[in-house]
Amino acid sequence: MESSRAQTIARDVLAILVVAIFMFPIAWWALSSIKPYSAIFDRSGPVYTGFTPTPDNYRVTLLGVSRVDIGMEQGGEAAGVIKGGASSYDSRQSLLDSAIIAVGSTALTLLLATLAAYCLSRMQFSGQQSFLFWILSQRFMPPIAIVIPIVFMFRDLGLRDTYTGLILVHSLINLPLAVLLLKSFFDDVPREVDEAALIDGATRWQTFRRVVLPMVKGGIAATAVLCFIFSWTEFLLSLFLTTSIRTVPVKISTFVTSTATEWGYITALGTSAIIPSFIFILLVQRHLVRGLTLGSLKE
Amino acid sequence: MASVTISNIKKDYGALSIIDGLDLSIEDGQFVVLLGPSGCGKSTLLRMIAGLEPITSGEIAIGDRVVNTLHPKDRNIAMVFQNYALYAHMTVFDNMAFSMQLKKRPNEEIKQKVGWAASILNLTPYLERYPRQLSGGQRQRVAMGRAIVRDPTVFLFDEPLSNLDAKLRVQMRTEIKELHQRLKTTTVYVTHDQIEAMTMADVIVIMRDGRIEQIGRPLDVYDHPANLFVASFIGSPAMNMLHGEVASERDAWVVRTDELSLPLPPGAAVRPGQKVIYGIRPEHLRPVANGRGIPARITVVEPTGPEIHIFASLGNTAICSVLHDRMEVSPGAVIHLEPAPERIHLFDQGSGERLDKGRS
Repeated sequence: MESSRAQTIARDVLAILVVAIFMFPIAWWALSSIKPYSAIFDRSGPVYTGFTPTPDNYRVTLLGVSRVDIGMEQGGEAAGVIKGGASSYDSRQSLLDSAIIAVGSTALTLLLATLAAYCLSRMQFSGQQSFLFWILSQRFMPPIAIVIPIVFMFRDLGLRDTYTGLILVHSLINLPLAVLLLKSFFDDVPREVDEAALIDGATRWQTFRRVVLPMVKGGIAATAVLCFIFSWTEFLLSLFLTTSIRTVPVKISTFVTSTATEWGYITALGTSAIIPSFIFILLVQRHLVRGLTLGSLKE
Repeated sequence: MASVTISNIKKDYGALSIIDGLDLSIEDGQFVVLLGPSGCGKSTLLRMIAGLEPITSGEIAIGDRVVNTLHPKDRNIAMVFQNYALYAHMTVFDNMAFSMQLKKRPNEEIKQKVGWAASILNLTPYLERYPRQLSGGQRQRVAMGRAIVRDPTVFLFDEPLSNLDAKLRVQMRTEIKELHQRLKTTTVYVTHDQIEAMTMADVIVIMRDGRIEQIGRPLDVYDHPANLFVASFIGSPAMNMLHGEVASERDAWVVRTDELSLPLPPGAAVRPGQKVIYGIRPEHLRPVANGRGIPARITVVEPTGPEIHIFASLGNTAICSVLHDRMEVSPGAVIHLEPAPERIHLFDQGSGERLDKGRS
């Protein structure tokens, strides 16, 4: 159907509006992160442009510069009293912790989920439908319901406050979705491809590894993005299961203290935390769009 | 190259019987087409030969070797699928080389073999492309190339042309036939398209409901269908079927239908009162001058170019005639049609079997 010029314009305007609505909080977040303290809490109203941008919030959270040192640079009162010292707002370790856990749990989830999904897609066994439902049912329960038992189990197993522990928990939560999602991608690859490979002389494993797996790359990339983002942003379980390891969301929550809410640091770390997810998505984007539409397109 | 012998093969899915005691022997180098409507078990039979479908009972032998429990890769067969089943992430070269790479053949040999197959199939300029960059016909050729590089003892084709458009189908039909004449590899080809079967086969096997209805050379099957099913399945437009009863008229046998009496050739194997079906192919029903033949009212005229298909009604019965000569005919008019007596087919109404089987 041909749409008229007016319709095209109306559609574009609407699209821009919708995007603007979704972008605004992120933009505001990023904007706040470069504001000085006074601009964040200006009593006359929201400040959009009338401030001098400052990297101080990032220097504190990402470079570990103590806020006292920054105060001294500006010739503040504290000069000469305290010097340097570790800053509790230094978030470099948290970013590393989060990265290790997100990458680790994504890798583990994909490893298990691709194998499980291939079997569920290609092989017949009794109770297959019930098994699929059981996998799905794992998502019915809210995480809060399992937190307490897991805390006790992890304490007894020595997994509390370890990377392994959090990687395992995040993988467990991601697995059902990953298996079901990947199964649908495997289902899209015709069975005849497997059969052709088997006739060509491949074993089951070679068929999986060399023929079918490369054909669902897009699906794997899409699944990886979802798993990574979940783990990167997960708060509740990370909070309960760790003490010294602090993932980024948990770390940010500590910026709300009994004396103040450090909006500057919160927005700086929050903005920085978007970047790894963003880079990750950019890396797999080539496959992502294809992956998300693969099922609906016929060759 | 090898023969294929299928003895008393059965295939059940639970209580459902797909193939029930089928025997078939395919000679070395033959091009055999399994033809039948969907659900007749032809693809299942092919997949059992390939080893992709377990056999419930019976025996399949390729050459002298019983292959019932052999893994597909150990049967030395090659298969071409309806949807090509190409490896989408590999180039044309790699698609064809895959089986040899798995066997760890030397690179030189792989290159030479793939090059040979590509030159036969006119794929040489496309070796570095991916399947998605090829047309339907080219993809089909890659699937065939993948099959021929392996020097299989038997080629299996599962409706390989049904995804192609009509023009390409005709072209690929010829290419497959040429390939067979060149390689002389035993071939089993599954299709529901009778034209493919007629044009390509050395031997046609017509199947229905998991049983073989008739085995024969294409023209034998066309000229002497063993029963009503084969007669109506082969031929387009389909054979005219008139229900009637054998009677004697002026010292000759005729078939009396509701509207008319149709003369039978002398020596027809019938007895008076027998309920029969009188079959005549549309092209054997020729227009004649007024006063002779069967008068029928024309309902539809379909000119196809080389032929004119005339559909007409005879009381409640619809009949069809194919004319090879141009002729001015229009719906509503009455045309007189005369069957060629030596070309008629008689079938028993009860069993559907051909009545002069012995003679054919």
